[in-house]
Amino acid sequence: MTENGKEASSNRRSVFFLARFVALLVGFYFVVASNPVNDAVIVPFTAGVARVSTVILAAIGEKVSVAGTEIRSGEFAVNIENGCNGVEAALLFGSAILAFPAPWHRRALGLVAGFAAIQALNLVRVVSLFWIGAHRPALFSSSHTVLWQSAVVLFSVLLFLFWASREQRIRAAEAVGEHGPSKGR
Amino acid sequence: MGRPKAAEETAGTRLKLDGRAAVRMAAGFAAGLVSWLAFSGPYEKTVASTASVLIRTFESPSVTSLSAPGGEIRVDRSDFPPASPRPGLPAADLHFNFVLLAALFAFVPHPLEPRRFLRFWLAAAGLWAIHVLALVFQVESVYATRLGAWSEAHYGSFARNFWTAGFHFYQIAGRFAAPFALWWLMVRPEMDHASGLDGRG
Repeated sequence: MTENGKEASSNRRSVFFLARFVALLVGFYFVVASNPVNDAVIVPFTAGVARVSTVILAAIGEKVSVAGTEIRSGEFAVNIENGCNGVEAALLFGSAILAFPAPWHRRALGLVAGFAAIQALNLVRVVSLFWIGAHRPALFSSSHTVLWQSAVVLFSVLLFLFWASREQRIRAAEAVGEHGPSKGR
Repeated sequence: MGRPKAAEETAGTRLKLDGRAAVRMAAGFAAGLVSWLAFSGPYEKTVASTASVLIRTFESPSVTSLSAPGGEIRVDRSDFPPASPRPGLPAADLHFNFVLLAALFAFVPHPLEPRRFLRFWLAAAGLWAIHVLALVFQVESVYATRLGAWSEAHYGSFARNFWTAGFHFYQIAGRFAAPFALWWLMVRPEMDHASGLDGRG
């Protein structure tokens, strides 16, 4: 195939990947935003994030209590809402993984590991934002809107790129194994 | 047979996930943040005035005007009672994702190489158009749901759900996905096929 042909083919694959990615993202959004799923899954999950964050905050010496999705202390209170529970980054990551061509078992592994990693980082985000709100309130808004939201999303993009790169290496190795090294790409 | 040098430079670029890429991404994030902080004011004015034109084009009578006095987009209508408060919409939430776009473009080797830098600005222009569209949805969702009896009289159930869901999608997923999608669209085709991130089936 000529260079132009390869580039056109690569462009097509990129566009198809994006189309699948956007379609999945919209589909997942409607599932997550629907009232039954929100009430039965997202709100309890967010309350779980609040409870775990409270345990970590207590461990580092903060006097905090939790009520539903709200964490409060004497100085500060924060309500964890959609957009701060890591679900938005997980939607992005999950849509990208499912849009990328790969065997289902490796997709599933990527989804589980990635979701866990995103939630671990999100706990650090919630805990640090609460600490900032309680002790450095002037920095809360910029830390919340720009720094942490960006960090969590960039992390999920990096996770996807890492997974996709690894997936491609595995596939290349499998192709060499099937056809022999002399017929490899 | 050798390829032209420019083609070799372009096709030979691989997307490596290493320490250098992380440093470039952090530098891009910092540069994006500084630019975003420095130019938010004028940027919001261009987004507000363009969204204003779009909204007025499709409303009858044309009464909406949006302004950006700093940090928020203020919604005004010539049929609002003069003494009533004007809704203010937080502007940073709308367009902070420019910083994400800058970080993603810096992630690729040689981000300041002219062709890549041009692609970055093309993507930034695309993101600006998305910001305008998101603001239109946000203003319409305010009209559809936050003006009490007026909202109920002027927006049916479908219209309320359409505008509100559209803006909510942007808030929850779209504003994070947009920089990634633009980056993928602009950068991916010039990466070496061997990078393996072009979604080959």
